Amino acid sequence: MWKTIIRRVLIMVPQIIILSLIVFFLAKLMPGDPFTGSGKLSPQMDLNQIQAIKKELGLLDPLPVQYFRWIGNILHGDLGMSYAYKVPVINLIAERAGNTIWLSLFSVLLTYLIAVPLGVLAGRYQGTHIDGGISFYAFAIIAIPGFVFYLLGLWLFGYQLGWFPTTGSISIAADGLLAKFFSRIYHMILPAILSSVISTTGIIQYLRSGIIDNTQEDFTRTARAKGVPERIVFDRHILRNSLLPIAAFMGNTITGLIGGSVFIENVFSYPGMGKLFIDSMNSNDYPIITSLTLLFGLMTLLGNLLSDIIMSIVDPRIRIE
Amino acid sequence: MENKNMVDAVETNANTMSETPSGFKVIWRELRHDKVAMISLVIAATLLIGITVWGSLLNQDKVTEASLLDRFLAPGQDGHILGADPSGRDVWNYLMLGGRNSILIGVSVTLITEFIGLIIGTICGYFGGLLDNVVMRIVDFFMIIPTTLVIILLVKITTHYNAVTLVLIISAFGWMGTTRLMRSLIFSQASRDYIAASKTSGTSNFTIMWRELIPNISSMIITDLTLGIAGNIGLEVGLSYLGFGLPPDTPSLGTMIAYANDPDIITAYPWVWLPASLLIMVLALSISFFGNAIRRAADARQRT
Amino acid sequence: MDKPGDLLLDIQHLHTAFRVGDDFYDAVDDVNLTLKKDEVLAIVGESGSGKSTLATSIIGLHNPTNAKVTGDILYSDLNLVGLNEPIYNRIRGNDIGMIFQDPLAALNPLMRIGDQIAETLVYHTKLNKEDREKRVLELLDQVGIPNPPRVFRQYPHELSGGMRQRVVIAIAIACKPPIIIADEPTTALDVTIQAQILDLLKQIQKETHSGIILITHDLGVVAETADRVAVMYAGQLVETGSVYDIFQHPTHPYTRSLLRSMPQADSDDDELYVIDGVVPTLKEMQVDTCRFAKRIPWIPEEAHEAHPTMHEVGPNHFVQCTCYKHFHFRDEPESTLTAQTEG
Repeated sequence: MWKTIIRRVLIMVPQIIILSLIVFFLAKLMPGDPFTGSGKLSPQMDLNQIQAIKKELGLLDPLPVQYFRWIGNILHGDLGMSYAYKVPVINLIAERAGNTIWLSLFSVLLTYLIAVPLGVLAGRYQGTHIDGGISFYAFAIIAIPGFVFYLLGLWLFGYQLGWFPTTGSISIAADGLLAKFFSRIYHMILPAILSSVISTTGIIQYLRSGIIDNTQEDFTRTARAKGVPERIVFDRHILRNSLLPIAAFMGNTITGLIGGSVFIENVFSYPGMGKLFIDSMNSNDYPIITSLTLLFGLMTLLGNLLSDIIMSIVDPRIRIE
Repeated sequence: MENKNMVDAVETNANTMSETPSGFKVIWRELRHDKVAMISLVIAATLLIGITVWGSLLNQDKVTEASLLDRFLAPGQDGHILGADPSGRDVWNYLMLGGRNSILIGVSVTLITEFIGLIIGTICGYFGGLLDNVVMRIVDFFMIIPTTLVIILLVKITTHYNAVTLVLIISAFGWMGTTRLMRSLIFSQASRDYIAASKTSGTSNFTIMWRELIPNISSMIITDLTLGIAGNIGLEVGLSYLGFGLPPDTPSLGTMIAYANDPDIITAYPWVWLPASLLIMVLALSISFFGNAIRRAADARQRT
Repeated sequence: MDKPGDLLLDIQHLHTAFRVGDDFYDAVDDVNLTLKKDEVLAIVGESGSGKSTLATSIIGLHNPTNAKVTGDILYSDLNLVGLNEPIYNRIRGNDIGMIFQDPLAALNPLMRIGDQIAETLVYHTKLNKEDREKRVLELLDQVGIPNPPRVFRQYPHELSGGMRQRVVIAIAIACKPPIIIADEPTTALDVTIQAQILDLLKQIQKETHSGIILITHDLGVVAETADRVAVMYAGQLVETGSVYDIFQHPTHPYTRSLLRSMPQADSDDDELYVIDGVVPTLKEMQVDTCRFAKRIPWIPEEAHEAHPTMHEVGPNHFVQCTCYKHFHFRDEPESTLTAQTEG
C-alpha cells in the first residue's frame, strides 16, 4: 500500500510544476509587476521610464530566469507585496487562508453527518417515499446555482429571521479565548450549513446508487446463500462496500468547497481566501491574485491526492503489491 | 469458450439485441408519461423561449437608461410591475433583457462545449490508442486548473471584452467534462458486437460513428446538453454576480442579483434582487428536472 | 445408471413466476424432480430456459416482491416453499451449499478470502475463532488450493479464476451440506481448469455422499459428470432420464437438436447445425401448447399434443409431448420415424 501512496505523491510533482507554469504565464499577462508587487510602475509614466523600471525589476529578463526567480522567492516565503494593502502578500493570505480552511472543514464534517444517513436511507428503502423525498431533495438542491442558494439563505436566516450574523468571521466584541472560539463558530454556522447542504447531494446520490448496485451484486447473493441474516448482509457486505468509496470523496469535497469559497465568502462577506480573491480583482492587486491562484490550484491538487490516498487505503484492488 | 455449441450463438444474439441502448425517440415515448418531467419541460420551455423573445424585442438602451426620479420605486408604482432598481430602471424589463442575455450565453457555451466534447470524445473513445492517450493527458492538464478562478482572471485581463469573448473563455474551460463523458460512453459502445459486425462488413469509420454510435448515445447527449444548459446559465449568472461576467453595461440576471450585496438593499428593497434570484432558481430547477427525467428514462430502458 | 441413495430433495409441481408490470409470468412451469444422495443431477438448457431460476427457487433467494414460488420443495421434513426466513437462513449454507457461476463477481472484493469462508461457519457452527480458522485452512487444502495460510489473507482479485472458483466451492461445502447446487460452475473458466473443477466436485461427492444439482448448458460437462439429466426448455422439463438415456437414446426433438449442434471433431460437415428461431421471451412462453413447436416448423401441427404432458418412454425416462414420435431433422427424409427404444 505504501508503494501506491508514494507513487501517487510522485505523480503530483509534475502536476505542481505544470500548475506553476500555468500560473506564471497567466501572471505575465497581467499588467504591472505581479511577482513582487512593487508600486513603481504606473501607467502615467512614459514608455522609456516604464522600460527602465521594468529592467530594474527584472521583468525584461528571459522568461526562464523570471520563472525560477519567482519559484525561488516562493520557496523562501516571499510572495511579493500587495499593491492595495502595502503589506507582504504572504501575511494577508495566511490570515485569510485559516478562515477558509476552518469553514471548509466544518462544512465537510456537516456534509458527511447529513449525507451518510440520508444516502443509506435512500438506498435501503429504494422506491419508497423516503427514497423519493431524499432523491427529490438531492435533485433540487444540485440544480440551484450555489450563490443564489446562499443568498436566499442569508436573506432568510440572517436578515429576515436574524438567527445568524450576516458578515464577518468573528464578532469584534468577543473577548477571551472561549468567547472568540464560539463567536467564530457562530459566524461559520450558516455558511457551513448552506454549503454542506449543497455538497451532500453528490454523496447522497453516490451512496444511494452504490447501495442499490451492491444489493444486486453477485457477492451479496453469495452472502445470502451462506445463510447470513439479512441485516448482517446489509451491514457487512452492502453498506461497507458502498461506504468505503464515499470516504475517498472527502478530498474532492474539500477541493470543491475551497473552489466554491469564491462565491460563499462573497455572499457572507466572510474574510477568507475567496473574498480576498474577488477584492484583489476589484482593486487590481495582481501579486495577491497570482499567489492565490497558485494556492487554490495547489489545494485542488492536494484534495485530489487525499482522495486517491484514501481510496488506496480502502480498496485493496487499487494497491500495487 | 471453445466448446460452446451453436445454441449459444442464439443466446448471444438475443443478449446483444437487448443491450443496445435506445435513441431519443424511444425515450420520448416513456417521458410523455412522466408528469413531473412534462411539467418541467413546459415551464422550462416557456421561460426560455418567452424570455428570449421578449428580451429581444426590448430596446437595450431604453431599458438600461437611468431614471433617477424613479429610484427604488416599489412594485406596482408608476407602471413598474416589479418596481424599479437603484438607478430607476424598470425591474421587469431589465429582468427580461438580463434573462435573455444570460440564457443566450448559457446556451451558446453549452452548444460549443457539447459539440467539442462530442467530437473529441467520440474520436478518442472509438480509436483509442495513442491519440486517446495524448488527448486525455491534455484533458487532465486542463483539469488541474482552478477553472472558476482562471475564468475570472481572464475576464479581467482581456481587452476588447464583450459577450463573445466571455462565451469563448467559459467554453475554453468547460469542454473537459463532456469530452470525458462522451469518450467513456463511446468506448463502452464501441466494443459491442454490433459495432464489430459493422466494421467487419466494411462500413467506414466515419459512418459507424455518425450513423450507429452517436444515435445510440443520443439520449445521453440530450441529457448532458440539458443539464449543461442549466449549469452554464447558472455559471454566467454567478460570474456576473461577482462582477466578472457580462460587461457592466450589459444587463444580466447576475448584476441584478448583485444588488443584494448591499446590506441596505437586501432587506429594504427586495424587489430589486429577489425576482432575478427566483427566476434563475425556477429556470435552473425546471431544466434540471427535465434533464434528470431524461436520464432516468434512459436508465430504465437500459435495464429492461 | 441410477445409483441407490436416500432421497434428499423432492420437487413437485414447482412454479416460479416473475412480475412484469402487474402480471406474473411463469419462468419455471410445473417442474418435478428428485435428488438423491451420491447423485449428480444435471439440469441442461439454454439461457432463458429457467434453469438458473430453478436453482434460485430451491435456495429461496428470489425477491418476494417480484417473484412468486408455488408448489413443493420437500427436504427432510420441511417444505422449502413458503418457509419462513429465519429457518430458511439456517438451511442455506448448512444444508444447501451453492456454487455460483462467476467466481470473481461472487466474492466480495473488499473482504479477505479467509473471512469470506469463515462467515458461513460463524452462522452455522459454534466454533470459536481459532477453530474456525483451522477449519478454513482445512477447506482450502481440501479444494486443492496451495499455501492456504497465504491465500487466507489474500483478496479475491489476487487469485486466478480457477483458484477463485475453488474458494467458492470451499464456501459452499464449509458446513458439509448434503445438497450442493452448482450453477454453471465452469462456464467462466478455461477448458483445462474446467476439468479440474469437475473432478474436484466428484471427489467431494465421494467424500460427503452429497447430492449435486449441476446446472449447465454444456453437454460435454453433462456427459462427464452427470448421473441423471433433466432437459429444460422455455421453463418446462422436456426430457428427463439417466445420462445414458439422454445421450444414447435422446428422444425429445429439443434434446436431439442440442446433441446434433455439438461440434464433432470427427465429422465431415463444414457447418454446424443451428436450431431455427430463437428462445421465446418470458411473455411469449406462456402457452399451453408444445413450446418447442415453433423451432421445428417443418413438423406438422398434428404431431404435437394439444396440451403436452410427460410420457414415460423407458424406465425413469420421460419425454414431454408426442412430437418425438414424428420428429425428423429438416435434412432427413420424412419417412424416417425415430425409433423409440423401450429400455
